[in-house]
Amino acid sequence: MTASSDGLGVGASLRRKEDARFLHGQGRFVGDITRPGMLEVAFLRSPVAHARLRGVTKPAGAEKRVFTLDDLPGMGTIRANSALPGFRVSEQPALAKDKLRHVGELIAACVAESRAAAEDLAAGCELDYETLPAISDMRTATAPGAALLHEHWSMNAFLETRRDDDVSGLDAIAAAKVTRTLKTSRQSMAPLEGRGVLAEWDPRLEQMIVTTSTQMPHVTKSGLADCLGLDEGQVRIVSPDVGGGFGYKGILLPEEIVCATLARKLGRPVRWLEDRFEQLSASANCREHHYVLTAWAAKDGKLLGVECEAIVDAGAYSSYPFGACLEAAQVGSILPGPYVLPLLRCHTVSACTNKPPILPYRGVARTGVCYAMETTLDALARKLKITPQAIRFANLVPPEAMPYRNLVGKVFDSGDYPESLRRAEKAIDIASVRKRQAAGETVGVGFATFCEQGAHGTSVYHAWGIPFVPGYEQSSVRLTPDGVLEVRVGVHNHGQGMETTLSQVAHEVLGIHPDRVRVVHGDTALTPYSTGTWGSRAGVMAGGAVAEACRQLSVRVAAIGAALLQVAKDDVVVEDGKVRRKDGDSSVSIADVARTWYRAPQNLPPDVDKGGLEITAGYRPDPDTGTHSYAAHAVVARVDTDTGEVVLEDYVIVEDGGKLLNPMIVDGQVLGGLAQGIGTALYEEMPYDADGQPLAATLADYLLPGSTDVPDVRLEHMETLSPWTTFGQKGIGESGAIGPPGAIVNAINDALARIGAEVMDLPATPERVLAAIHACRK
Amino acid sequence: MSKIAITLTVNGEETKVETEPREHLADLLRGKLLLTGTHIGCEHGVCGACTVEVDGVPARSCITHAGVCDGAAVRTIEGFGDDEIMAALREAFAREHALQCGYCTPGMLVTSRDIVLRLPDADEARVREELAGNLCRCTGYRGIVRAVLSVLAERRKA
Amino acid sequence: MKPAAFDYARPKEWSEAVKLVGAGARAGAGTQSLGPLLNLRLSQPSTIADLRHLPNYAGVIVAGGVLRIGAGTTHAAIEDGAVPGRIGEIMAAVARRIAYRPVRNRGTIGGSLAHADPAADWVAVLPALGGTAIAFGPNGERRLPLTGFVLGIFETALAPDELLRAVEVPVLPATAKWGHWKFCRKVGEFSKATACVLSVPGAKPRAVLAALDGPPLVIEDASALLADPVREASRVVATVEGLSPWRRSVAETALRHAVEGAA
Repeated sequence: MTASSDGLGVGASLRRKEDARFLHGQGRFVGDITRPGMLEVAFLRSPVAHARLRGVTKPAGAEKRVFTLDDLPGMGTIRANSALPGFRVSEQPALAKDKLRHVGELIAACVAESRAAAEDLAAGCELDYETLPAISDMRTATAPGAALLHEHWSMNAFLETRRDDDVSGLDAIAAAKVTRTLKTSRQSMAPLEGRGVLAEWDPRLEQMIVTTSTQMPHVTKSGLADCLGLDEGQVRIVSPDVGGGFGYKGILLPEEIVCATLARKLGRPVRWLEDRFEQLSASANCREHHYVLTAWAAKDGKLLGVECEAIVDAGAYSSYPFGACLEAAQVGSILPGPYVLPLLRCHTVSACTNKPPILPYRGVARTGVCYAMETTLDALARKLKITPQAIRFANLVPPEAMPYRNLVGKVFDSGDYPESLRRAEKAIDIASVRKRQAAGETVGVGFATFCEQGAHGTSVYHAWGIPFVPGYEQSSVRLTPDGVLEVRVGVHNHGQGMETTLSQVAHEVLGIHPDRVRVVHGDTALTPYSTGTWGSRAGVMAGGAVAEACRQLSVRVAAIGAALLQVAKDDVVVEDGKVRRKDGDSSVSIADVARTWYRAPQNLPPDVDKGGLEITAGYRPDPDTGTHSYAAHAVVARVDTDTGEVVLEDYVIVEDGGKLLNPMIVDGQVLGGLAQGIGTALYEEMPYDADGQPLAATLADYLLPGSTDVPDVRLEHMETLSPWTTFGQKGIGESGAIGPPGAIVNAINDALARIGAEVMDLPATPERVLAAIHACRK
Repeated sequence: MSKIAITLTVNGEETKVETEPREHLADLLRGKLLLTGTHIGCEHGVCGACTVEVDGVPARSCITHAGVCDGAAVRTIEGFGDDEIMAALREAFAREHALQCGYCTPGMLVTSRDIVLRLPDADEARVREELAGNLCRCTGYRGIVRAVLSVLAERRKA
Repeated sequence: MKPAAFDYARPKEWSEAVKLVGAGARAGAGTQSLGPLLNLRLSQPSTIADLRHLPNYAGVIVAGGVLRIGAGTTHAAIEDGAVPGRIGEIMAAVARRIAYRPVRNRGTIGGSLAHADPAADWVAVLPALGGTAIAFGPNGERRLPLTGFVLGIFETALAPDELLRAVEVPVLPATAKWGHWKFCRKVGEFSKATACVLSVPGAKPRAVLAALDGPPLVIEDASALLADPVREASRVVATVEGLSPWRRSVAETALRHAVEGAA
């Protein structure tokens, strides 16, 4: 399907079309947009993790500028139910009703001419509440006698899942068995731009227009319409430039419901901008897992079975649309990773605690599961006295088995998993590490291999029971009279470079220069419905949809072009932006075709397709079980045994994302993911005290990796095409964030092996590393 | 609430504007002067998204109050016109894929330009050290570091 | 978050500034430490007195074997060599590792010292250099040894109606040896333990251990530390209360590395 001979199409490292505006400070984020008469909102938030709310005393004289739930009747409650059996339903009011369930929960909206003045109002409110015991540890959430967050529940858990393969015989036949108790910490996704909402009611259209920093404008529209009691047509969501998402902006926000309600009630535009303090203290919402993992292996390292007890801290409510159990319920299906695993026994709990509701962060459950599995594999290897590479080679799904269906029913589409590890093994200098170890240096090498299911569709999500099941992804394309191609997509571009890559896709099919392609996104009034940008799906799904729409448009363009060239339709091809006679050089440009349709219809052939030069087409890969990109990460880490500091000396990633639509952009995705994975591995942690108070409320306490903390990684690509997607591309957006914790901690543990110490909990802070060392010296 | 009248030279133009003492420079630039290229990322001086030039050197506009800047010259990302170094940095940032969502980019460019001017001999380690006060959550920094190094190298050659 | 409302004053004379502070105004210099506290509403002063326009607030004067550094001298100026000689070299290297350059461009040595965050760099370094704080109050200047200036978290020896006007540090011989080591998890982050050792020929070596959540610990005669750093570091750190085992280890490491640096 190529109509491009100039190397600007699929596979080209084209520079990004979106860069110019950002480089000149001309991006438009929610906070950059104002309206005449606009009011600013500051929220009065819960100062405690668990309490019965008795009342709010508003500041004297400001009663009409502070709004509690009672002042804003009619706001619907957020419910994100799962169809999985046994799911317990939480009801999250947009403003607290009678109970406070986490620090930062919204209690009242304060409205003023400036944010500072609105904060003055919030500071002037007095709260009357009765403190209840807080559940701040997921391990005690389900203990007998624990205070119940949702009092009609029988226990503090949204869901439990079980898979019960019989592993009882493995002790007898295994050459080695290890059990590890591992924990990952709660994190804040921390996009540089916080959330932001600007709501305004258009009385002419009877429409609520909400400009909001979201990854999924259409899903937000549906959820918001439902909560506001409006038709979906009465809600328009505009998502302008978005300063990073990573999953943080894949949610229907209570703030959106409140701002929209206020805008209508007050008859003025209303804006709320999340600040960093709010983000860290009220919305640290991801990654907190606890595992007890047992693995059995034969002498050669072949896995015989795995048993896992996993708890995920899902926080206080089930967020819309992904719900509270997306992570825990996936643990069992992700645990086999890229390996051939014969038996799996797995019990998971989505624990309900007095913390912000969980959202899926880049990598989702895979980052934690990969960490647990990869560190346990290394422990097995140490016990068996084989190398970490050897145990992986013994278990990786071989290329000849592709497509491979694993024991939990995941289908790997294509690839040579062992080859990625072989290349990583070759690229990292293991010999030098071993030599330095022999000389007494505390340095180590670590590996992690994993695969990432991406762009999975209807069949998968239907089975997971989430409220929003993705179906056919659509794109609308149309030629304008001057021959420019408008490409409309319902996914959202917030750093992924889709304004460029989707132009490349259109160019690949129609040959129109990418500069003459205009990608339109981020407005529900202008784009076809989509579940949005998440799950490493946009490159496959929107890429496929744009290609399909362009392909259909190409047929219509060819028909008109052929008529203009006075030859039969079959005697022309569309390429390089022209309709060309197959037998000669004569051609007309696509711009000529467009001009004819719009401005000189007298020249159209009589049998012209009356649909014109505008087409909406849908796309879904078949099968829709998802692409599987995969990677091997290899890292050399040095540990300072006096301070516990870990220095990453070298980092290699060998990645296979299938066909790379734009290799430069794919590199960027992997590198950005890596930085976040390093954050998970070494830096980022939102601790809570026993009362459920978050203890890192600024970026001086919550450490994000900086330029000195991310090594100059060496990145190699393999390009095994997916047999199921338009160009063979695979979802790869989250991959970089999955491997680092496992690889890095394996390197640390390799370095510490001579001491006998092992790090179990993330992040591997200097304090934790030193504690591990000290534990061995005692 | 006390208001104070101040005079700033913003991007070369003298501007009289009223501010509250508590208003920080970033809010004044964005809200009153509509220079929204200066972004707010943390409001505690850590992330660097709000970095602008005050009297010719980079400053955090989120922890510098506007009133304090009375009489100062302020330059934001919108004010570099065809400045040679900024132009070279913009070109290098695009070439090296040094931005994704674009939110940190204006502050990153202001800091980068200062590095190029002040430390013409900086190597990679120094560039990384100097960039450490500007957080980027998207790129993993490699493109940014390479972009700055490439502009430094070009200028050493010239 | 945005600060609670406050008034702004820009005194032109020291006497005027002292009056403002005596009446409860919060002194503001570069506001690089105060700014975040204001933005988080952790500090809610009624008035901020902007010291930046006072006479001789910034700048370095050499007189009689002593360097007088105006309190308003920025970290960046020191990094760029505003302080001459051997002590200038030492101070420039310290300044370079304070926060980040845009912060150093506005943050000042006096502001940082008077703010008295235990983890701040000058709080650790100046007592080791053996200087004097020049305070200015209703009765004029008062001299305080820097070794006893910071008393605790955000607490100094300044009276409520006094301002820090300058610090004086000695001119050091080129042969003066200096070791400085701090542990930050990231570039520009607040230190988790800082140690400094100054060894000038003919005088007793002095050491400071700081950034341990309290006032800096000054060791006026660090000869024993230099003689047996491992044992002495362990002994000194053991005298600090309330440290986790990790902080103890980092603090001991800091002292040992500082001694190595001064060797």
